[in-house]
Amino acid sequence: MANVEISAVRKSYGALEVVHGVDIDIKDGEFVILVGPSGCGKSTLLRMIAGLEEISDGAVSIGGRVVNNLTPKERNIAMVFQNYALYPQMTVAQNMGFSLEISGKSKAEISSKVNSTAEILGLTPLLERKPSQLSGGQRQRVAMGRAIVRDPAVFLFDEPLSNLDANLRVQMRAEIKALHQRLGTTIVYVTHDQIEAMTMADRIVVLRGGVVEQMGTPMDLYDSPANMFVAGFLGSPSMNFLKGRLAADGSPGLTLEDGSEVKLQHSPQGTSNQAIVLGIRPQDIAVDPVNGTPAVIKVMEPTGADTHVLVELAGQDLVAVLPPRLKTTVGETIPLSFASPNVHFFDAASEANIPCDPKSEHDQ
Amino acid sequence: MTIVDAQTAPFSSLPKRRDPVLIGLWISLVIVAIIWLAPIVFITFTAMKSNPEVLNSAAFAPPEKIVWENFTKAWVKGNFNETFVNSTVITFIKVPLGLLISAMAAYALAQIQMGWNKFLLIFVLFGAMIPFQVMLAPLFTLVNSLSLIDTYPGVILPYLAFGVPYQVFILHGFFKAIPKELTEAALIDGASHVTIFRRIFLPVSLPVLAALLILDFVATWNEFAMALVLLQDKHMWTLPLGLMSFQGQFSDNYGQLNAAIVMTVLPATIVYLIFQRYFVSGLTSGAVKG
Repeated sequence: MANVEISAVRKSYGALEVVHGVDIDIKDGEFVILVGPSGCGKSTLLRMIAGLEEISDGAVSIGGRVVNNLTPKERNIAMVFQNYALYPQMTVAQNMGFSLEISGKSKAEISSKVNSTAEILGLTPLLERKPSQLSGGQRQRVAMGRAIVRDPAVFLFDEPLSNLDANLRVQMRAEIKALHQRLGTTIVYVTHDQIEAMTMADRIVVLRGGVVEQMGTPMDLYDSPANMFVAGFLGSPSMNFLKGRLAADGSPGLTLEDGSEVKLQHSPQGTSNQAIVLGIRPQDIAVDPVNGTPAVIKVMEPTGADTHVLVELAGQDLVAVLPPRLKTTVGETIPLSFASPNVHFFDAASEANIPCDPKSEHDQ
Repeated sequence: MTIVDAQTAPFSSLPKRRDPVLIGLWISLVIVAIIWLAPIVFITFTAMKSNPEVLNSAAFAPPEKIVWENFTKAWVKGNFNETFVNSTVITFIKVPLGLLISAMAAYALAQIQMGWNKFLLIFVLFGAMIPFQVMLAPLFTLVNSLSLIDTYPGVILPYLAFGVPYQVFILHGFFKAIPKELTEAALIDGASHVTIFRRIFLPVSLPVLAALLILDFVATWNEFAMALVLLQDKHMWTLPLGLMSFQGQFSDNYGQLNAAIVMTVLPATIVYLIFQRYFVSGLTSGAVKG
């Protein structure tokens, strides 16, 4: 096991810089997930840790040793790829034992390590099969087995669940998390799926355009997003953003672009009449026939446990997660309340979070 | 028949409509096959006929009595003892060696980034663009200056030089299509490039290697022009040269001449039949993977 230190790491392809000085300190045994949209540099960063991509500037250390100039095999890491990358002509057992065979381990040792790992992952009955005879989930488990057998200091996962169907993804998520709890090895995991990040990580690093937007525990990021990007990226359905101006009299409320008023429980620190963006998660919107602001229903999506309702308010689309079996239909108006204690405020220009004004607590 | 019966009638009882395009394709395939097979049938039948029977029977009529003597006589007269050995030595060294060199070069060009891979590939391909007939005279001078005329290396080395570029081209395309994660996974597993090439790329590429082996075997076995220039000594001749000489001397004995042709072509046919299963899958796998 080892810690991983990424210090001011940059990556350029010619004149094009794609990773702009990233600093991340990953503790020994920590499960860190790098998350962000396509092209944010998360996979490049992981490949630089693995030694598959040259580091243009800065340093990567594993277990206190700078590894910039070491080959992948000298870094004592193991990697699981999105497309499994299993050797097609080898059996499951041969795939898993390949690294041990190359390092000159005895046949008995290889077989014992392969067997014990296969047992952990439930692969024992499949050991003699070729990768083409396995399902997607089984292949991914073999790829993980190949990584575990080596007993590396750090596991690197590059979008390992992206090729699996939704049900299998949920199952594998739990398996990877259980595996981390069992092995306690440091894991750096890359995904674009925020649910994977939220459910599995000890700490999440949100990247955009080669820059770290925010890092912290999943709930830290969920509850206190640093900016609109992080707020919108984490959580499902995504956070709603309502543009408006603070009430002129300083009371907790927002005047929307069409002049309608939205009552709030808090107001942000700032001057009155300032242009801001209100961020509210769909789950924090409620139906309130008394104080609610009327919104027009555009689409209703019952999921069984609740109903996702797409509404239009002051020319802006919002999603609200409301109770199931709503007695309304598309085209009708519905009074919605935004007076949740969990709302967020962002500066309209910089998109940065504006803290709530503690004095503005308003009891409705 | 009731309505119910009609609805539950199995599909197989419905009249089948054949696609006219498909029928047309089949007919043209059969015609092409006949055109290709006709000379083979003619040669094989003639090889088994006595000279009077050749002159008196129809060209495509099967032999009344098989004359095996044609083969034994042609073998002795045509000095096949020597030419067969020469062809075997040259082909069995050149073909595997050429494939190995091509595969290693293609791997390096496809998988190891050296910065000038594209230029190197174009440089290698340039060799495939020059017709070897143009090169015959300079080639003779070169081989002669190295004192390699009438030696095995004197003909194997030029064969390699002219065979490698197109094999590199085909294998490079195939290796490029192998996901790079496979190489990366092996690098992380601690494998060197030699190990990756030997343990992962070669087994994965078996179909395309088999296809190239067949093509190269047939081409080398039947090669004539370069051998004619580079092998002056009769004792160093390959089968096609021996066959030409035989034809010059015994062209009136059709039975024996065709027996000699059959014996010359047979090894290449056998190799083709052994590897044709891989050959077909090699061609398609290359096509699908781009």
